[in-house]
Amino acid sequence: MSPLRIHRAQRPALAPVICRWDLDKTYLRSDFDSLRQLLRTAFERAEDKVDVPGVAALIKAIKKAAERHGRAALVYFISASPPQIGKAIREKLALDGIPYDGIVFKDQLAQLKRGKLRNLREHVGFKLVELLRGRLDAPADARELLFGDDWESDSLIYSLYADVLAGRLAVDRLVPILRRIGVDARLVDQVVALAARVAGPDAVDRIFINLERRTPPATFRLFGPRVVPTFNYFQTAVVLGADGHLDVEDVAAVGRTLVERSGYTARGLENSLGDLVRRAAVSLNIAERMGAELRAAGVLSAEARARSRWRRMRDAFRRLRRRRKARRTPAGPPTRAAVDYAAILDRLRPPGRESPIEGRPA
Amino acid sequence: MPTIAIDAMGGDHAPGEIVRGVARASLKTDIECLLVGDERRIQEILETVPYNPEHISIVDCRDAIGMDEDPHEAVKNRRDASLLVAARAVAEGRADAMISAGNTAACVLTCARYFRLLKGIRRAALAGVYPRHTEYTGQDPLALLLDVGATIRCESEELVQFALMGSAYARRISKVPSPRVALLNMGVEGTKGGETLVAAYRRLRRMPALNFVGNVEGNDVARGRADVIVCEGLLGSVVLKLVEGIADVFTDVASAAARRRLSWRIGLALLARGIERLRRLTDYTQYGGAPILGFENVFIKCHGRSNARAVANAVKVAAKAVRDRVPAEIAEAVAALR
Repeated sequence: MSPLRIHRAQRPALAPVICRWDLDKTYLRSDFDSLRQLLRTAFERAEDKVDVPGVAALIKAIKKAAERHGRAALVYFISASPPQIGKAIREKLALDGIPYDGIVFKDQLAQLKRGKLRNLREHVGFKLVELLRGRLDAPADARELLFGDDWESDSLIYSLYADVLAGRLAVDRLVPILRRIGVDARLVDQVVALAARVAGPDAVDRIFINLERRTPPATFRLFGPRVVPTFNYFQTAVVLGADGHLDVEDVAAVGRTLVERSGYTARGLENSLGDLVRRAAVSLNIAERMGAELRAAGVLSAEARARSRWRRMRDAFRRLRRRRKARRTPAGPPTRAAVDYAAILDRLRPPGRESPIEGRPA
Repeated sequence: MPTIAIDAMGGDHAPGEIVRGVARASLKTDIECLLVGDERRIQEILETVPYNPEHISIVDCRDAIGMDEDPHEAVKNRRDASLLVAARAVAEGRADAMISAGNTAACVLTCARYFRLLKGIRRAALAGVYPRHTEYTGQDPLALLLDVGATIRCESEELVQFALMGSAYARRISKVPSPRVALLNMGVEGTKGGETLVAAYRRLRRMPALNFVGNVEGNDVARGRADVIVCEGLLGSVVLKLVEGIADVFTDVASAAARRRLSWRIGLALLARGIERLRRLTDYTQYGGAPILGFENVFIKCHGRSNARAVANAVKVAAKAVRDRVPAEIAEAVAALR
């Protein structure tokens, strides 16, 4: 029996899955390192916007897999960009054939009117409020998958959201964290009010961080195994496959898209799979089974298959022995330990410095 | 894209600087890097730096040959040492070239054990890349000295082959269309240096395909007179270490002077730009490593003290040597000689 089915059997069969996506740098390859690029992005037409390789294929694969499994998959986008660019974004999503169920933009003009210039760059409060609002409208038993990037504070925002939902972050702990980040007082009040209404079961399965800036993965260790930094959407698909949200055929579809449309090589995908195993994001067993099926589907190179069975067994044994000795976090469903936010904030912003953390990799 | 096997455990700063260098190369190039060494340690280092996993794979092996070990014993008995495992990956076709910053003698012996000599080549040579004074604009600031330690004594035939190998390498890697080749000797006259050098001089002069500029003396090594200087391994090793030693002494003397007197410190500060240019010129990290020439496969030997930049550049040099078919170029040159 496939390990994927074992995972699936543990969950309520028809619980819908909600995928919440950040837009810039997660879905779109937006460039706003300079004011010029920012302006260009703002006035870009839908057909000029470029999506991150494999992202559209992944969203479609999640939808397809959910349908096959008899569960609903809802896709929401949340962006700190102003609603004025919404038309181009919606057109881009339509061009890519992405079915989505909602999209939220940040009303930057309202912040300007209020004279809150600082809030233009501070997104933690805005995103947290919108995520919590979204949860109020969602089915109570819905599972959540969150997708962000390493440009802003997505890993922090999503982790806060997940812990608030699970009731692991009480108001007396949450408020000082938000204040320390520099969240606007009005938004803090809104977060507190919403948190009281949404707290319930642990709903967030995984938080995926697209390493667009190639931030070292070790940076995210403090967030625990729930946060999975990935270098490409094939890696994301593999972890989703291991968690039971995708079948191997869906993972293959994402890999094939990357090879056929974005210049990835079968060897590059094979290496990406190996990287996930070494980072303990998926277990060796699952990676080997999935790898064999992906090789049979022609997505991974057959080169690795040519290695002798004896050598593969020897390597696998060595890796297992080493891993046991190293006592690293085992792959599989993430543990539900509380995240040490004080340590995370200390690293993002050393004590004594009160500058906002936004704009720095989380 | 070529695949380069990297001995992750060889070198004074291994595996840290080696892995960081490979991570750097993975971000800037499409070269496939096959890191050979302790998988757990490699991965731990990798996760702390930016890297692109699509271009990196790891072959796990825990054994490594130390810098002070007896190379003969180590190469003979330590089959699972990272250096030997990497060489096997190249010999078996899983990689196209390899680099190592480990024990030099062990590297040469490993090549001899796993790689085949090119047809017609009698002995391999370790080529040292060193900075030299340039005589005209556009001249490559780096020259090649070979052999610097793969042999001790040579016959004239072998020196001639070293000249051909060095010339082919400079043509392909330094893009010098007709590299100037010289013989290191105790005088510029063709009759000096003993029987072997005189015979080599005569043979090299009769080769129209080679731009042989005659003998050069020790004081010409650092000048721009020749792009490739040929000598026996014993002499070459002494020369290369002497050049390195002088650079180290210069740095130490300047630092000591700066500490002793304020006026000297000010003087050095005024010369800072010039010193920086000199430092850049003598910075071995920019050329990464030196090739072991004469085998069918490419082997780039990095400096034992190599840092991440040197390793990244060595990976690029190895890939370039594969892409530009340096071994084939050497084989053709030697075949033409016959």
